[in-house]
Amino acid sequence: MAYDKPIPPHGQHTQPFWDGAREGKLMLPRCTSCNRVHWYPRLICPFCHSTDIEWIEGSGEGRIHTFAVQHRAFGGWAKEVPYVTAYIDLAEGDRMLTVLRGVDPNNPESIEIGARVTVEFEAADEDTHIPFWRMAEG
Amino acid sequence: MAANLRNAAAIVGAAESNQIGYPSERGLKVTSLQHHIEAIKNVSDLTGIPISDIQGVFSAGWSSQLAEHLGLKPRYIDTTSVGGCSFQILVHHALSAIHAGIIDVALVSHGQAGWSYRGAGGGGGRNVAGEIDPAAEMTMPYGVFGAPSNYAHAMVRHMHRFGTKPEDFANISVVTRQWAMLNPRAIMFSKETNPYGGPITVEDVMNARLIAWPLTLYHCCLVTDHGGAVLVARPEIARSLRTKPVWISGAGESMGHANMLEMEDFTATSASRSSATAYEMAGLGPDDMEMAMIYDSFTITAAITAEMLGLAPRGKGYTLWKEGHAAPGGRLPINTNGGGLSFNHSGMYGMQLLVEAYRQLSGTAEDGVNGIEGKQTRARTCVVNGTGGTLSTTGTLVLTAD
Repeated sequence: MAYDKPIPPHGQHTQPFWDGAREGKLMLPRCTSCNRVHWYPRLICPFCHSTDIEWIEGSGEGRIHTFAVQHRAFGGWAKEVPYVTAYIDLAEGDRMLTVLRGVDPNNPESIEIGARVTVEFEAADEDTHIPFWRMAEG
Repeated sequence: MAANLRNAAAIVGAAESNQIGYPSERGLKVTSLQHHIEAIKNVSDLTGIPISDIQGVFSAGWSSQLAEHLGLKPRYIDTTSVGGCSFQILVHHALSAIHAGIIDVALVSHGQAGWSYRGAGGGGGRNVAGEIDPAAEMTMPYGVFGAPSNYAHAMVRHMHRFGTKPEDFANISVVTRQWAMLNPRAIMFSKETNPYGGPITVEDVMNARLIAWPLTLYHCCLVTDHGGAVLVARPEIARSLRTKPVWISGAGESMGHANMLEMEDFTATSASRSSATAYEMAGLGPDDMEMAMIYDSFTITAAITAEMLGLAPRGKGYTLWKEGHAAPGGRLPINTNGGGLSFNHSGMYGMQLLVEAYRQLSGTAEDGVNGIEGKQTRARTCVVNGTGGTLSTTGTLVLTAD
């Protein structure tokens, strides 16, 4: 079945991210001056203001920072309710938004902040593979 | 070293448009522009300041259009639009412009047909020529729709960090309905005016429809129409009018982030900084505040903000409501108009905060139209805090009465 949820256009400054995603790699922007990873992608490092930014392959590991269970949604997401959205603390630093997989939206008390999660990709179309996070095994 | 702007200007009057709430449900189509113009006309009539005396026009995105519509040639134009707190920030800017001697009289205006002209949910981040903001690009795939879906993440983090429960925050909805029952213009004035109207219980809040766990419908603000305007003037003018001045003793603004991705601490906002600036200017602290008007887009917004303003210890903001201090007759009345939860919330709610703070401190909160017996407090000081975006931007005012 065709992917029916919002597919982001590729911005002018983010193509390496989408190129990596198509190969199953979580590419992250890192400042070559202060060595810190930031998210979302910037034209300038938000920590030290260097404009020398490279893309590195992230580990694809993180932890749940916080979450919510969505019961009201629109478009393609409407038929998925309830589903869990979460902010993920990346192992490399900074934070990413996701829809969390492998959790029970009807039992939010069972979802633990700080729990380990790993990234996976879903092909929304040929060019755009979207990262989602899933509860880590074990 | 910044100059101290304490009492360099006063709010000299506040008014609303003629049809607020759900005018389209009463067969009326009131545009946002009409809300602006009616409120401006009403505040001019109230204060006796002719519209032609307005030298500075302050609004969230409307200023050139408004000035033209009013036939004004302003000397100061400010159209800062950073969400619902814009109006606290605009008052700060008006205070600065008056203190600098650039203008004597400033208009701060709001008009928003948030209900009657509401659009579909969602939002893009795209602008001209296919440009997309990278923060929007990296969040749009993830099924987060509008404010409640995002604010829920903050409540969950607060629960994790401080051991709070959804029931704790539910008390904020309950108390805010109690205030709404004293304001005939509040959507939730009674069960007759709205099936969800006051009074309600904690159980009602918990049993309401889930929007984004842990937020049920009653944890979320209304979506309504509103227009409001205040006039700000230098002291000599403020003392010469038939309306009472409410002094701008302190003002501050700050921000934490634009996109919630960049919210460092999901249990804190920049109100700690904007209020520190405002308190310092005023020479007053949280213990000196006799009431508070706190942006309550959601119960969690009000709870966190009370903590940021120093009105309650960290993690304990909700206790002001749970223990009844914020309620009618309590020691620290909060959101005496019924708040965004129960009175009116047009998308940007900062003007509603200002209008009510002015009414309370000028002793006009029980005019029979906007308040009935029991609504007027004895407060002579009020801290007003707006929050814009997704717990993003804040503006704080410390207002005092003579």
